[in-house]
Amino acid sequence: MAKNVLVNSIDHQDLKVITERSANFGDNLWYTLTFPSEFRSLQAYYPIFFQKDVNTGKFHALALFGFQNEENLFLKDGKWDAGYIPLTIARQPFSIGIHKVSEDGEEKMQRMLHIDLDNPRVNKSKGEALFLEHGGNTPYLDMMADMLEVIHHGMLDSQEFIESLIELELLEAFTADITLQDGSKYQMVGFYTINEEKLNELNGNVLESLNKKGYLQAIYMALASQANVSHLIKRKNATLSH
Amino acid sequence: MNNKIQQIVIVGGGSAGWLTAAILASQYAVNDEHGIQVTLIESSTVSPIGVGEGTWPSMRSTLEKIGLSETDFLIQCDASFKQGSKFIDWHHVNDGHYFHPFTFPVGMEQMDLAPYWLPHKQHISFADAVTPQGHLCQKHLAPKQISTAEYAYNANYGYHLDAGKFTQVLRQHCVEKLGITHIVDHIEHIKSHNNGDIATLITRNKQSIQGDLFIDCSGVHGLLIEQHFGIPLKNQKNILFNDSAWAVHVPYTDEQSPIASCTLSTAQTSGWVWDIGLPSRRGVGHTYSSAHITDEQAEQQLREYITPAIGATAAEQLACRKINFNPGYRQKFWHKNCVAVGMAAGFIEPLEASALVMIELAAQMICDQLPKTRSTMDVIAKHFNHKFSARWEQIIEFLKLHYVLSERKEEYWLENRCSSSIPQSLLELLELWQSNLPSRYDITDTDALFPAASYQYVLYGMGYSPAHQQHTLRHPKQRDAEVLFNQNMQQSKQLLAALPTNRELLNKIKQYGLPKL
Repeated sequence: MAKNVLVNSIDHQDLKVITERSANFGDNLWYTLTFPSEFRSLQAYYPIFFQKDVNTGKFHALALFGFQNEENLFLKDGKWDAGYIPLTIARQPFSIGIHKVSEDGEEKMQRMLHIDLDNPRVNKSKGEALFLEHGGNTPYLDMMADMLEVIHHGMLDSQEFIESLIELELLEAFTADITLQDGSKYQMVGFYTINEEKLNELNGNVLESLNKKGYLQAIYMALASQANVSHLIKRKNATLSH
Repeated sequence: MNNKIQQIVIVGGGSAGWLTAAILASQYAVNDEHGIQVTLIESSTVSPIGVGEGTWPSMRSTLEKIGLSETDFLIQCDASFKQGSKFIDWHHVNDGHYFHPFTFPVGMEQMDLAPYWLPHKQHISFADAVTPQGHLCQKHLAPKQISTAEYAYNANYGYHLDAGKFTQVLRQHCVEKLGITHIVDHIEHIKSHNNGDIATLITRNKQSIQGDLFIDCSGVHGLLIEQHFGIPLKNQKNILFNDSAWAVHVPYTDEQSPIASCTLSTAQTSGWVWDIGLPSRRGVGHTYSSAHITDEQAEQQLREYITPAIGATAAEQLACRKINFNPGYRQKFWHKNCVAVGMAAGFIEPLEASALVMIELAAQMICDQLPKTRSTMDVIAKHFNHKFSARWEQIIEFLKLHYVLSERKEEYWLENRCSSSIPQSLLELLELWQSNLPSRYDITDTDALFPAASYQYVLYGMGYSPAHQQHTLRHPKQRDAEVLFNQNMQQSKQLLAALPTNRELLNKIKQYGLPKL
């Protein structure tokens, strides 16, 4: 269980975070959540699909790393074998918590940086320090705080993006049957992608409004990312030949 | 006689009127040169009686077709999911129950499982052996998950709904989205053409409403079909005795109380009690034969029924509403340029909740067969009358089937089994079933309202088995049957593990809505 606490320079002065990438640190995930403004960076490496959250029925975007639970084909010798690590992975073990704060007698909701003390990355001897010797934030901690802000706004934007996709009937379910070198088969079910036929039917006004929000680019990035499925299969086949 | 049929006037603003309007206006262009115009007139002084709180699964496709969001519908109509009916005490007093689920038996296309189930009837009910739905209903589970798209399902379902709210939602949708003209006024006078067709309705406020086709949805009054055209009702009380009902709204004692996922129907001495779970309350009623029990006794039985849930004091205090009805249907539904839909066409006790589905079917046929000109209307009317007389006959036969296998000893039940009260068609079937198992060949209408599977659920649920030994098969399909029974067991287990309760899902829908795909 996660034990998320507010980051502070007194209790956490000595804490360090291991940035190595491996299953021991919980990186053995077969996908992670993402958002439209990140699609451009992702599409060079990962297939981007959409999926429904089983607890809410709401769609979210994801970057795919493997074909089954706990299979991350990008993990190799303590490193992540790709030029870009999705932010929702890179931000570990940090998260945002919402706190009520009183400002000039007014109650406000404020986003605050939290750390999961039970995360195996968190220790006192190895890795990136959170605070400088005399109490200031390290550049690493500032970077993490910025990253979480980007994720927070990206996720809000993602909701609007996905609502537009649904409204315009641009999402469609697909199933893919994958056969590996050794003859074993996987079926990808429950994933959704962009319906290209509907996309090609959109008129100028709709395209313009999508473009203004940056959604048109995201849509094409998601389409382009489909090519990465064959790269994933290559990685998977490579694990079989060992 | 070659006038185009374009102006459609619907009289009556209950579920029948608004559903018919919505079905017509979602199929045809409204206010287009070659389209239709739909006007609905309702009197502000007549309030709809609000029966029919249960629907069939057909309502899902109807709502989808008319363009309502299922999320909005569920929330605004205080609606919940219905997966069938549970019949309690119908066979014997205080002796168990059976299900009539909305799902067909597993492998139905492939084979009839009944002969392979019969030897095990002491251990498992027919419904439980061939569908998961009874298992789901016992645990008050929903037929889908929060991630299941609107109108899609894991287990087939219809709805329980608040009929008054449903009418409001339909009205708003018809007026705002479907381009239907809504007039609130009282019809005072009807002007006719020389051929006897209705030409114009004159209202209290001196409006003239012209029409090419008039749809009478005015309820039991039958404003056009009966009061104007004098088409009488074919009374069915000699077959289905119930002619009265007491209805009551029962609050939940706890806001997290389970919401039943099927209609509960519990036999009484001289009728039966319906019990319909909505998110905010239960709708409970006792329908009975006034020839067999007094109104006071019937009301008392209803209060006794609700006592275990809410306590004797509350049960005594709740206000009950009395409804009288004349069970029957019109000799003719479509006469000249007027067709009756809903209670104007007929009304029968709410067993098997056929009221709303009959509206959907009638509206759909009017819609699909919409006459292009007056000259073809009479042929279409003839076909319509033929089809709907057959449907009413089947409903009555099927409802009667629920009574004839009972072994209850009260006068009402004994008389229900008297062959003089049983339609000839049903007597023949009962005779046939002495030797042959019920089969799809028994249902001769290809477009029947109740399929053979429904007869199986009721018959086997009521303890039927054939009196005669069946012929020995050269190749018994024992192995195939076992595979199917196993498949149903597996599916039941999976659904029991995966589905939320009705209450949990409805709460989530309020929070997140159902996905559109």
